[in-house]
Amino acid sequence: MSDPVKTAWSDQDTRAVSEIVQQSVSSALQGEIPPAMTEDQAKRLREALASALAPEVALDVRRAAHAFFEEDRRREKIAARDRVKAGKDADMVERLSLHVRLQHMVLFSSCILLILTGLPIKFHEAAVSVFLIDVMGGPNVTRFLHRIGAVVLTFIGFYHLFYCMAFEEGRKTFGQLIPKPQDAKDAFHQLLYFLGIKKDRPLFGRFSYVEKFDYWAVYWGMVVMITSGYILWFKDVTINQFGKFLFDIGREAHSDEALLATLAIVIWHFYNVHFNPHKFPGSLTWLNGKITLREFKEEHPLEYEEWKASHDKGSAP
Amino acid sequence: MTGTVMALFRRVLWIGVVMAGCTLAAQAQEDVRCLSCHGKPGFRKTLPSGQVLDLFVDPNLLRLSVHKDKHCVDCHADVSEVPHPATPQPVNCRRCHYNGNTAGAPQTAKYLEFERSVHGKALAAGNLKAPTCQDCHGGHFILPGSDPRSRVFRTNIPQVCGTCHLKIFADYEASIHGKAIAKGNPDAPVCTSCHGEHNIERPEEKTSTVNPGHVANTCAKCHDKVVIMEKYGVNAEQVATYEESFHGIANEFGVLKAANCASCHTAHNILPPSDPLSSVNPANIPKTCGKCHPGANANFANGRIHIDAKDKSAGIVYWVALGFKILTLSTLAGLFIHIGLDLYRKIRNHQKAGETKPGAASSENQP
Repeated sequence: MSDPVKTAWSDQDTRAVSEIVQQSVSSALQGEIPPAMTEDQAKRLREALASALAPEVALDVRRAAHAFFEEDRRREKIAARDRVKAGKDADMVERLSLHVRLQHMVLFSSCILLILTGLPIKFHEAAVSVFLIDVMGGPNVTRFLHRIGAVVLTFIGFYHLFYCMAFEEGRKTFGQLIPKPQDAKDAFHQLLYFLGIKKDRPLFGRFSYVEKFDYWAVYWGMVVMITSGYILWFKDVTINQFGKFLFDIGREAHSDEALLATLAIVIWHFYNVHFNPHKFPGSLTWLNGKITLREFKEEHPLEYEEWKASHDKGSAP
Repeated sequence: MTGTVMALFRRVLWIGVVMAGCTLAAQAQEDVRCLSCHGKPGFRKTLPSGQVLDLFVDPNLLRLSVHKDKHCVDCHADVSEVPHPATPQPVNCRRCHYNGNTAGAPQTAKYLEFERSVHGKALAAGNLKAPTCQDCHGGHFILPGSDPRSRVFRTNIPQVCGTCHLKIFADYEASIHGKAIAKGNPDAPVCTSCHGEHNIERPEEKTSTVNPGHVANTCAKCHDKVVIMEKYGVNAEQVATYEESFHGIANEFGVLKAANCASCHTAHNILPPSDPLSSVNPANIPKTCGKCHPGANANFANGRIHIDAKDKSAGIVYWVALGFKILTLSTLAGLFIHIGLDLYRKIRNHQKAGETKPGAASSENQP
């Protein structure tokens, strides 16, 4: 009975379990293998050690993970503070002002409302249209919602015109959006690049031909949809003043342009800002107006050079 | 065993035949007794109101009708002695005309349909003007609907309904449908073509065939059939163009105040647009449209009402639609090609990067 291990795991030992474990572990760590231990005893010791240590190990892992992430977060915060202190944003650059972002938000909110309440009328035979109209509260409610969307869209359309004339930023941006011969050259260059004939991409300024197309497509869509929409809304006036044929033209244009605009948005715009492998699952530019420096350099190299020049000059002591 | 049963059966059959024969003889005997008064031409009675009620029954007409095997008391079941002391009750056709009857009457639920109809309900409510079976089918001279002499033969139906619905009959008679029926045209609709027969309901009822929500379907029974319409030079697309119009779509989604066929063409007085009396004659368009669009003027007639943008007859609308079709297809084709080329270039660059630097993608592909 002189074997300490045997004594330790017998009922005669009155020490606390943790004490026994500690002793066993420390002796095991020192390479002291208890003498005369049978296979059965070793197994019991392993089991006892495992069950006694399990909670402590788990706690240790949690502590380590916590410390690890806390540290990570702390470092991030320090880095961000340092960036702010240094007066330059190393990662993100704001390209779109809040003023522009708000216009975009109002525009897409009203467009979503208009599409949801409008397309079910164009595709009235589809079960999903019946469902949508039902869910929104019936045809009279959707008609009312459609008109709310129409008023908001009209407002933002005119507000944008005002913005383009009355604000310095608006005038400048509008000037940058006017298509120029360089855009045709860029488009052709891009085509050659896509086909592998040219090795380098065209260098875009503030707005590439793709963005200019997007912008002017919305212009065209707004003019067609708003004009035809009001022809339909004030049908009695338009028919009385001009004739039923104008109403029919308005109806056809409204319906066809609605489909064209929706498809263009869903296919083109969503590809460019959501499903493009470089952007997936979506860019947050619409919300914070920022893009990464990498995107900036790649997608708008000329604008980047300008920005860099002014930025370096501005931030220089 | 079988022989015994058969013998028994045969005996029962014989007894039945003999009994039926005796009954028939007895009833035929009774017919003679009834006709001793009612068979005399000029047998009539003057009601307290002064109205003269003709009580003469021509037995030959009954023998020519579908009820040729029936006898007076089969229908006038409450007459048990001659002369009958009180005025007999009106004949109740339901004694035989129900599903599962054994009297040889057609197996239909038409009587039940009638009871649920506007006429049946009025009758049940005690309206003495409400029609009973006899008002439409006749009394003693009932013929199948396929017989041209029948009151319910197709071309005779308007007059039968017109017995009570005088104003509507006058409208209908003047309409293109009524004129066609007067000429014996088998395609033209009569009252029952639109309103149903025994199951006629008020237009306000949701299940009525002439409820605003169902009018288009009812007219479409003939008006979207090219086979019928091409005979009369009427465009069979009118139903489809209505369904595509704002009126049709609103109606489809349950806005019943939106115009249906009858709102513009009227229900009974339907005339071709070339007729100056027609509600859809250009001269009358302001008035017709003005029912819902207050202040409508002659410009409402400036343009087509039933418009099919896919057809050249739509005029400028056809060209607008075509323009948008070309614009949409070319735009989408351009966008798809651009996206496709962009993806192609990205994949090629990715592959090249993989070839030159194994395990590391190019900077472009790792945003």
